[in-house]
This record gives sequence, C-alpha cells and structure tokens, in this order.
Amino acid sequence: MSAAPAEIDRPVSPPTPTPRRARREARVDGAQRRREARRQLRYELISGGSGVALALFMWGHMALVGSILTGARGFDALAGGLEEVYIAQPTVLAITALFLIHAAMASRKIPAQIREHRKLRAVTEPLRVESARSPGHLESSLWVWQVWTGMILLVLGSFHLVLVGFDVFTDTFGVRTGIEAASTQARVSEGLWIVYALLLLCVEFHASTGLYRFAVKWGIGSRLGRPALRRIEHVLLYGFLGLGFLTLAVLAKWIEPPLAFLLGATV
Amino acid sequence: MSTEMITLETPRRLRFEIFRFNPEDPSSEPHHQTFELDEQPFMTLYIALNRIREEQDPSLQFDFACRSAICGSCGMLVNGRPRLACNTLTRDLGETIRLEPLPVFKLIGDLSVDTGTWFRGMAEQVGGWIEEKAPFQAHAEEERMDADLAQAIYEGERCIECGCCIAGCGVANVNPDFVGAAGLNRIARFMRDPRDARSEDDWFEVVSDENGVFGCIGLMGCHDVCPKELPLLEQYAYLRRKMLGAAREEERT
Ligand code: SF4
Ligand code: SF4
Ligand code: FES
Repeated sequence: MSAAPAEIDRPVSPPTPTPRRARREARVDGAQRRREARRQLRYELISGGSGVALALFMWGHMALVGSILTGARGFDALAGGLEEVYIAQPTVLAITALFLIHAAMASRKIPAQIREHRKLRAVTEPLRVESARSPGHLESSLWVWQVWTGMILLVLGSFHLVLVGFDVFTDTFGVRTGIEAASTQARVSEGLWIVYALLLLCVEFHASTGLYRFAVKWGIGSRLGRPALRRIEHVLLYGFLGLGFLTLAVLAKWIEPPLAFLLGATV
Repeated sequence: MSTEMITLETPRRLRFEIFRFNPEDPSSEPHHQTFELDEQPFMTLYIALNRIREEQDPSLQFDFACRSAICGSCGMLVNGRPRLACNTLTRDLGETIRLEPLPVFKLIGDLSVDTGTWFRGMAEQVGGWIEEKAPFQAHAEEERMDADLAQAIYEGERCIECGCCIAGCGVANVNPDFVGAAGLNRIARFMRDPRDARSEDDWFEVVSDENGVFGCIGLMGCHDVCPKELPLLEQYAYLRRKMLGAAREEERT
C-alpha cells in the first residue's frame, strides 16, 4: 500500500506524519504483520467454530437425555445402544476436547475485553439510564452474560464431563459400565438437580446467545435483520429450556415420564 | 405532530448540564455547568445551544456547520450517548439534559472536539482512498456498474465522519490505533469498488490485525449509535468473510 497521494492533502494537513502513521510505519515488517493477522483469523475461526459445534451438540444431547421422558427403559436402551456401537465413548472424549479448546480460545480476549468494557462504561455510564432507547447496550450486556455463563460452564461443565466419563468408562456409580437411568435418577434426585438446573440455564443461554452473536459477526442471515435473529434465538432458548426442565423434572423423579405410553409400559 | 403547538401551552423548563473545560486556560477546571431554558416547539439541541450562547454565556464552545446532519461536526454525548446535536429533538429527551464532548478525540474546549486529526490518521492507516487501476480519463465513457454494487458503495460513502461510532466503541476508547467502525466501513467501501486496484490480499494485514476487524469484539455499539444509520454491521460481516476468503486463497497457492 502506498502513502497518501499528495493531491488529496488539504491545506490544513499536518506537516509531519500523524502519530498514528508514524506508529504504523515503525511497526514490524509486513511478513510478521501478516503472520499475526493470520493468527487472529485462526483464533476467531477456532473459537467460533468450536462454539457452534458445541451448541449443535447440546441440542443432540438434549434429544438423547430427553429419552428419559419415555421412561427409564427408553433411556437405558438408547444409552446402551450408543455405548455398544462405541459412539458414546469417543463422543465423550471429543466433546471434552472441544469444550477445553473452546474455553481456551474464547477466553483469550476476555481480560482485554473487560478492560475495554469498563472504560466504555466509565465514559458513557448514563447509557444505562437510557437503555430502552439504545439496543446497542443490550448487546454489550449480552456479552457480559456470555462471560459469566461461560465461566460457570467451565466449572460445572467439567464436573459433569468427569461424572459422565466415570459412567461411560467405569462401573463406579452403577451396576455396570455405562450410563444408566437408575443411577442417574438417583443422584439427580438426591440433590445434584441444583447443579444441573444451573448448568441447564447457563448452557442454553450461552449456546443460543453464542449462535446469535456468531450469526451477527459473520453476517449469516443478515437479510432477516437483527430483530428476527433475536426472535429465533429466543424461540430456541425458551424451547430448549422448557424441554430441559421437563427432562430434569423426570430425572429428579418429581414427575412421571410423560411419554411412557409410547413404549407401552410402566417404568 | 400538529398537536404539538397546541399542547405546548406551558413550555417545559429544560436544565442543561454542560461540560465546561478549556485546555488552553491553566486556571480552567473540568466541571459541569447548568443552564436553564424554556423549551420551544421542535427545538433541537442545536437551537438550544445557540440560544444559551447568545443569551447566557458567549464563551460556550461547540461546533456546528450544516445543522442538517450532513457535516458531522456536532457529535456529542447526550445523556452519555453519542448523538448529533442538530438532529436530536429536545422533546425526545427528559427535562435534564447532560451534554459532554465525545471521548477518544482531542478536546478543543467545552463540547468541541477535533475529529479531523483522528479521521485523517485513520484514513492514512487504512489507505482510505482509491488506488486507480488506470489513469482517470475525464472524457471517456464510464464503465458500467451493477446497481446493487453502486448502492452498496454509496451506503459506505454516506459516512459523515461525525465520530459517534468511535466515541461509542469500547475498543476505540482504549486502543488509539483501532480504526473503528468508521475505518472498517471505509475499508469495505474501497474493497467493494471495482475501480480500485488493490486485491483482497493487499488488504489482508490492514484489515485482519487487532487494529482492524479482529480488534472489534462485536458489541455493535457503533451500529446502533450511528446517526446516519450506516449498515456498519453488514460492512463488518462483509470484511470478515472477505478475509476468510483471502486466507483460504493464500493457503491454496
Ligand atoms: S459511521 Fe456513522 S457514526 Fe461513524 S463516523 Fe460515520 S456517520 Fe458517524
Ligand atoms: S462492534 Fe463494538 S467493538 Fe466493534 S467497532 Fe463497533 S463498537 Fe467497536
Ligand atoms: S451541524 Fe452538521 S451534522 Fe450537525
């Protein structure tokens, strides 16, 4: 790229290069900048891509766990089936890896972002008062919630992954190796439901918000416009939250499996 | 609208809390000064500020030129949100109105800031001008351009350099080299232009580093704050996709 052509110089132009230009010229050579630029792009792609993959997985996951709605037999049959053909085991490992990669990549910018966010809030604090008229602010609070739910997910998600890892690979918690309705229902109803309720809230919020932000960032569905994207996000969020809490209620043995009739027998 | 004249029998008494500071004067301390004014129908902040200066304090500094949202000189924080004073109606605001200069830019005094230096620096950094493919022929027929493309370029060209998107951006507030939404918009405008000689590859490092599109964290403050309603969000997504394409291209070769 060449310097500013002389003919666009206005009479008021500073005689010396602006500080910004001087800094630009002093900056590292082209090849290094290019490498840095590529690195930035890679980070973006990995954190975004792993996030989308995890969000999609969570929906599939919901469908599988949701099998408890048909009763313990349905749940056990599905889990056992997936373990028998060795789909469950590698999935647990792959998702754990993806989970850690996503956490590492997505959190990379958090310290800098928090600094920026604070600074902006300090400058434009009264924006909050006017928040009804400035949807831009809504986006920033979405982002803050992404950070919070992300941190909770890192803790609770790891816990859950370890637990499921034990289920799938050992017989520590059940009568046999593998995920079982009986042992799962037992531990959930005995108090783990608190953890799972929190986990569910965070997962669904984080996933739907993340997908929305991903779409906005890359211009996916930009024809629909942001309000429409947000509506889609809300439908997904509340839909999966509803399904999730129903499933949790069955797992915690608060209600009978509502779809048990599908398998034509009692639990 | 037409009822306004009638319903405004007793005009509101507006309180303006205006940031005062003169960096040239060593005895000046930054503070807010309060002015009161009766609201008049269809009053803009432009009218209000001029009345305050004429009737109450001739030393009040602020910038205006076009009073029709074209010149971009009247950007300021109105109750903390970047806006153009000339197209902000007082009836859309409460009775107390706080006015402050835009952050990021150099303060000239009171509400007046120097956006010019920042924008010039940005233009130099991103190469915000056309690099012609062939020398300009004044008398030759222009090459035809697709209407949608012309419209997209025009949308980017509508930026009035008011600086609202820069002042409202968290990143621009901490990183003086971040080109901001206005800069990204400028890049997208020239990248789209078929008359420009630069390829996506040439743009890659300008766009993709932490001062460019990947410095942005996508909070969209800029998009919602832009008084000209530029499609900043689309420009931003466009650049990201282009950069992805350029990187893929490079991988292949
Ligand atoms: S993009 Fe909008 S807010 Fe930013 S400088 Fe241009 S007109 Fe102003
Ligand atoms: S989206 Fe946010 S971080 Fe990016 S340029 Fe706009 S205001 Fe700045
Ligand atoms: S006075 Fe020109 S934009 Fe407001």
